[in-house]
Amino acid sequence: MTDLSNRRWYSGMLTQEDWWAVWLGVGFFFLSLFNLAGIDLVGWITYPTKWVLHPPEGGKGAVSHAFYALGKKYSVTAKGFYKGLGWWSVLWTYVVFTIATCIGAAFMRWNMKRFFTGWTIIYFLTIATWFVGHHAFIAANKINMKQYGLNFALSLGGGGSFILALIVGLVIGNFFKPFANYLSEAAKPEWYIKTAIVTLGVKLGYLPIKLAGFSHKLGKEAASLTFDLFVAGAAATVVAYLVFWPGVYVISRRLFKLPRKTAAVLGSGISICGVSAAVATGGAVRAKPVVSIMVSALVVVWAVIELVILPGFFTHVWPGTNDPLVAGAAMGMSVKTDGADAAAGELMDEFMRNKIESETDGAVIWPSGIITASAVMTKVWIDMFIGIWAFVLALVWVYKFERRKGERVPVSEVWHRFPKFVIGYFFCWFFLLALYFGPGQSGAAEAMPFLKTVKAGAVPIEKGMRKLFFMLTFMSLGIITDFKKLKEAQFGKMVWVYFVALFGFIIPVAIVIAYLFHHGMQIPNIAGFVK
Amino acid sequence: MKEMPEETKKEPASGSLTGAALEAEDVLAGAEPWEPVETKLVVWSLVIAAVALIIGLIVVPTSILHTS
Amino acid sequence: MKMELVIWHDGRNWVVKNERVTLAARTLDELDLEVERFLRAHGLVREGEMTEVFMTFDNSTIPQWIRQYSQHYFNRVLEVKG
Repeated sequence: MTDLSNRRWYSGMLTQEDWWAVWLGVGFFFLSLFNLAGIDLVGWITYPTKWVLHPPEGGKGAVSHAFYALGKKYSVTAKGFYKGLGWWSVLWTYVVFTIATCIGAAFMRWNMKRFFTGWTIIYFLTIATWFVGHHAFIAANKINMKQYGLNFALSLGGGGSFILALIVGLVIGNFFKPFANYLSEAAKPEWYIKTAIVTLGVKLGYLPIKLAGFSHKLGKEAASLTFDLFVAGAAATVVAYLVFWPGVYVISRRLFKLPRKTAAVLGSGISICGVSAAVATGGAVRAKPVVSIMVSALVVVWAVIELVILPGFFTHVWPGTNDPLVAGAAMGMSVKTDGADAAAGELMDEFMRNKIESETDGAVIWPSGIITASAVMTKVWIDMFIGIWAFVLALVWVYKFERRKGERVPVSEVWHRFPKFVIGYFFCWFFLLALYFGPGQSGAAEAMPFLKTVKAGAVPIEKGMRKLFFMLTFMSLGIITDFKKLKEAQFGKMVWVYFVALFGFIIPVAIVIAYLFHHGMQIPNIAGFVK
Repeated sequence: MKEMPEETKKEPASGSLTGAALEAEDVLAGAEPWEPVETKLVVWSLVIAAVALIIGLIVVPTSILHTS
Repeated sequence: MKMELVIWHDGRNWVVKNERVTLAARTLDELDLEVERFLRAHGLVREGEMTEVFMTFDNSTIPQWIRQYSQHYFNRVLEVKG
């Protein structure tokens, strides 16, 4: 079936995953805003909590409370109802998100039967790993392990669940290939992560509101920090990209003697934004599509390797908890694909927050999501920048290298390559900022009842929906990653170009540039305000 | 190549292109000689990066110029 | 004058198609020549005027697992002078 979703500027709005991430993220965000009218439509979203099989007397962690509806804690109008849901919230969440994603899948003309069964299996596998990953032995740290009757815990926070989801996915993807192939219709890490990134926009906008609940000053600090990340991320990204691309291009052409078009596609693929850049550049330089496809197959495998290595490296080797936002920004510039990057950022967020809390015996506690936001911010800028860079490359290739008579590069190419989910991300962020600075009076005491209703809607989205879609991303990434592909002889030199360029050039340069723009940025300490 | 005869016209199949469908030689071999325009592309990219770095360090409030 | 075509690569050839014609060639240069020849043969380019041929890439030829990462390969415009 022909797919001409880029014939007009609007023609892909109902048929592309990128747009469907916007519709899902913004759609549920709007549902959350019904709280302002006194109706809580999102409090059913499920969330796990730490558990043990035998909780100590008077302690915490009963299995019966391992999942709860977030409305139980945050709803202003329906707390009693959502309190009663408990584990049933898992089913509520399944039903509502199944309907939403199936509508998207139907519009995108996917195989509905395979999507529905694949989604159902992936969802419940995800819930199962989320549950196991929240066993207190894995998730608790030395500050709170006693409450669960433990003398030792791995201190992985929510990161343990992410690692488990990735492992389960990788086992399926590498040892049960027919099953993985069947699930592939619903294993869509990019769709899930783009949806999660839109909800991360809710998180960013909600952060000042949350911290204003602690103190007026903290709220303002949070608003200012998110704006700083926005500006620093933009500058770092432009510099990094314009250093990365020519560097990898020269390595590919001079060191590995690759043809010009392959070097250009590899240059973009390895440089920053992986598959999307490889495809955009392949089109821009008029390479046969198969060049981009081969590079993409390589990128997705390497991205998962980075996802496994870098969060631990940045947390425990350098820069550690001294410069967490340098680490986040460097992550965004190093890890290819939105899914792997955001997932790596989220994993590092969990690692770093648990590390600082343990290191300081609870004297420093960071709010969740800021390190993730720093990793995603650079990536979002990169995603936008690749459209412009691909346009420049198209001009160079069409008018300088190939000089085909009569060919013109349409400016609309920039729009077609623009990552649409970014619109949803910024929309949610700025919408909530407008509520904070407008009717929320920057967190003034008299506006707190209003901000509390905003919070009741925002938390299930920025916490429950976002984490669930992150978990789905980890699981799906594992399912579609086949390490055997690296062995395939036809990639030959490309595997080595990738290895040399990534570890010898990209990651070190990313760290330096991230340091130049993010060094010394501090995450607000909320230790005095949380239990 | 002329217009394709009706019987050989082939509709694009869904996801018809895969890495396996192509010999690696097509992608990896046959490097063209390095041309001056490539030098220009690389050098200009680095020059713009340097300019962006200097402007960025001056303008961005969290840059190392302002925080150290 | 304007004309719209769908373009894709079948693994060997670049192919363009609309309801009137299907053309294929190994390289884009050769393909453009074929398109120009077709336009002139069918009187679709008038003396002193320019015909704009807009080619929309058919994304369905890109494997579906890749389309989630990037949904646009390229669209191109060919201008043929009469």
